[in-house]
Amino acid sequence: MKKIILLLSLIVFSIAEDSFDQDFDSEFANTNVEIFDPLSGYNRLMTTFNDKVYLNVLNPTAKTYSYVMPETARKGIDNFFKNLMFPVRFTNNLLQLKFQNSAEELGRFLVNTIWGLGGFMDVAKSELNLQAHEEDFGQTLGFYGVGGGVHIVLPLLGPSNLRDIVGMSTDSYLSALSTTGSSSINYRIPNNSLEQVGIKAFDAVNIVSLKQGQYESLKKDALDLYPFLRDVYSQARKKQIEE
Amino acid sequence: MLRNIIKILLFIMISVSYANALKKDSIKEEMTKKIDNVLVVLSKKELSTSEKGEEIIKIIDDVFDYELMARISLGKDTWGSLSKEKRKEFVKVFENKLKNSYIEKLDLYNDQEVEIISLKPYNKTRLQLETQLVGSDETYTINYNFYNKSKSNDEWFIYDIDLLGVSIIQTYRQQFSGLLKEKSFDEILTLLETSNKE
Repeated sequence: MKKIILLLSLIVFSIAEDSFDQDFDSEFANTNVEIFDPLSGYNRLMTTFNDKVYLNVLNPTAKTYSYVMPETARKGIDNFFKNLMFPVRFTNNLLQLKFQNSAEELGRFLVNTIWGLGGFMDVAKSELNLQAHEEDFGQTLGFYGVGGGVHIVLPLLGPSNLRDIVGMSTDSYLSALSTTGSSSINYRIPNNSLEQVGIKAFDAVNIVSLKQGQYESLKKDALDLYPFLRDVYSQARKKQIEE
Repeated sequence: MLRNIIKILLFIMISVSYANALKKDSIKEEMTKKIDNVLVVLSKKELSTSEKGEEIIKIIDDVFDYELMARISLGKDTWGSLSKEKRKEFVKVFENKLKNSYIEKLDLYNDQEVEIISLKPYNKTRLQLETQLVGSDETYTINYNFYNKSKSNDEWFIYDIDLLGVSIIQTYRQQFSGLLKEKSFDEILTLLETSNKE
């Protein structure tokens, strides 16, 4: 009698265990699917290159910069650059039919430019609680169902994919900080490619100075850096496209 | 005879209940307390990083279901193929890795505000606690996914954390499955152990 009870409970328990596992296994992505990564050789090299540039050039520069520039100033500069990217965010919010968000973006731009000292202060967020709605053309394409395509690691810019590269190039036609395309857009700041690179480099150093330690901390979860960054990128983009 | 069966059943029921789990209604409150306590520990300048780590582990340890996290990360097939001792070993090493990883990330943001946003249903039977960390350059969403470990009671544990949409268990799952194609399980275990020591 006791043996039967024991046997029954073991069977019930093992069935429960198995279905339990199935439950979780289906929630997370199927790992048996081979990831199509034809450029993996190149991507690995570029990841190592970017990693070295970050650790030996970008990060030390950002650290030194942060000693000289107080945090409020660096935040102000960050706000200023972010404010300038309004045309890109606004257009892409519209393209995704996110009208409420577009209106809020417009509101943010006007309030921050007029009352926020030309964009240095994010008064729209602190006073009016208007949050930014980060959208770019890569997300717009993703919104309309375009898959990411092959994973490509860009020099200095880091992980990306085919769709997002197309997205970035398209956005640069509208961006205030680039020189792509028609020169009839009046709000363009850089006069030539050299200035564009200079401004972008400064922006990058400023951003890294505000995010100190994050990359190193992220790397600690990596057992194999390149696939890890590739996976992190695809998960993060998926989330960005969804919202 | 009947008395013996009842005794056995009672024993099983007691040993299977999890005293440290959270009840559904108290998740928000408890997690708020825990996160606040963790931030207080992190702000104590007089403690060393390892001392802070020990204190933090005491606060957060009982809500994480490390064994489940280890099991999901390794995947059903690999987990099924391991002996009990190997499983135990793996869970221990993986647990350390996760703890160190979580504490390190918190350490970066100890000066900033953490807000608990809401507790929402997630994936039919689960719950997700949304929190937000207001950083100097952007706001980071950190979500804690809870599941009910007990079939009949209210015992909720954390089985995944996601930061900006990147799930930690998903990243480990992807990494392990990639590595297992080329390395043996023992090599991966050693890899984890060495990375813990760094």
